[in-house]
Amino acid sequence: MSCSNLTMLVSSKPSLSDPSNLSFRSVLNPFQLPSQNPTSCTPSRSSTTQIQCGLRELRTRIDSVKNTQKITEAMKLVAAAKVRRAQEAVVNGRPFSETLVEVLYNINEQLLTEDVDIPLTKVRPVKKVALVVVTGDRGLCGGFNNAIIKKAEARIRELKELGLEFTVISVGKKGNSYFIRRPYIPVDRFLEGGTLPTAKEAQAIADDVFSLFVSEEVDKVELLYTKFVSLVKSDPVIHTLLPLSPKGEICDVNGVCVDAAEDEFFRLTTKEGKLTVERDVVRTKTADFSPILQFEQDPVQILDALLPLYLNSQVLRALQESLASELAARMSAMSNATDNAIELKKNLSIVYNRERQAKITGEILEIVAGANALQ
Amino acid sequence: IREARDYDHWRSCLSTNSGQIGVLPNHAPIATVIDIGILRIHLKDQWLTMALMGGFARINNNEIIVLVNDAEKDSDIDPQDAQQTLEIAKANLNKAEGKRQTIEANLALRRARTRVEAINVIS
Repeated sequence: MSCSNLTMLVSSKPSLSDPSNLSFRSVLNPFQLPSQNPTSCTPSRSSTTQIQCGLRELRTRIDSVKNTQKITEAMKLVAAAKVRRAQEAVVNGRPFSETLVEVLYNINEQLLTEDVDIPLTKVRPVKKVALVVVTGDRGLCGGFNNAIIKKAEARIRELKELGLEFTVISVGKKGNSYFIRRPYIPVDRFLEGGTLPTAKEAQAIADDVFSLFVSEEVDKVELLYTKFVSLVKSDPVIHTLLPLSPKGEICDVNGVCVDAAEDEFFRLTTKEGKLTVERDVVRTKTADFSPILQFEQDPVQILDALLPLYLNSQVLRALQESLASELAARMSAMSNATDNAIELKKNLSIVYNRERQAKITGEILEIVAGANALQ
Repeated sequence: IREARDYDHWRSCLSTNSGQIGVLPNHAPIATVIDIGILRIHLKDQWLTMALMGGFARINNNEIIVLVNDAEKDSDIDPQDAQQTLEIAKANLNKAEGKRQTIEANLALRRARTRVEAINVIS
């Protein structure tokens, strides 16, 4: 508006015959026009060069957001691939778990009339509890690590209220760094998590837990990990790891037991073009126990050897579920980040185009005003 | 799960905690504990040796199912690394204090010794 008024003012001047006045007006015009445009475009009153800097900064920021979007999208795809691999690891471990549970069941039947005394199933009055806390190694996975750490903190508070001692075995870098910064929480051991859980890692945890329990330093061992429910939902849970139930059941803190033979597993499928998870109960065929099967050793001895295997498989299962949950959480987090980046890029582009148009309009007005001044 | 299936000339040796046992074709069905020790399988005129870290085995219908926490083929084991681990395990056992550390040190020593034996087995 101000530019338009100025133009009209200039056009009325040619009617005057005094050349000196006209010359004076021409000198004024170039001076006023640049000062008007910066005021309307940016708060800072600057020359035309600053407008260029503003546009260049916007362009740089748009490129930066675009790069971030590429990174988060790549991370999302990598996490999706790893979830599939984690699922395959669980499937590969199924025959072992099923055979183990089957053998435990059969041997347990033969022991119904006998009094079994096995260290790992001995139920003692609980004075001290060990908590095995399974966290991830890296961030950028939403509230995954925080959720399990909060669960551990809540459990620690409960144990304190009950007047029980406790110690923590921390698995994973995120948990390690958390507990290192809190000296008031007693930590028995810090263990590294791997990129893909293996029997060796589960063995390290199981060995630690085994020696703690058998040497009677603790009376109960609880396993805190994130149970994989679906690609969009994970559930931090607490399972009692030791003492073991001879029948191979999984018991939670409240004593609710679920038969471990009901081995659900998650399966990634493409349903209507989207990744979905279906939980399915599939049993691998295993040969029936032969009625004439002989036991090389006393059934109690066999059970004594089988239960550590079972302990190890439980720990491995927890590690695998925790990893799958972490990857699913990372998938979700990176997907959200990608969507945010796309929206931000769109908004920045709008601002950039608007500023560019304003700059061009300003330049055109300058040219028109200059042309009119020359008449 | 590692399985050795039905072949005419197969046989295997297992270390159980009541001594080693040999399994030939048409063996009677048994279930046994596997100690930390060596598994040897003879199949098609060659022996395969593995170090097992404790577990369970079931023999049924000319089929052996071995469930173990961990297993390593002799070809996968690095001789120098295994020997070094054995020396370290021996030293740790001497320094072990308390019941718990002794249990841990004993387990580590037995595992390390088995890995060394798997390499040096004489057939």
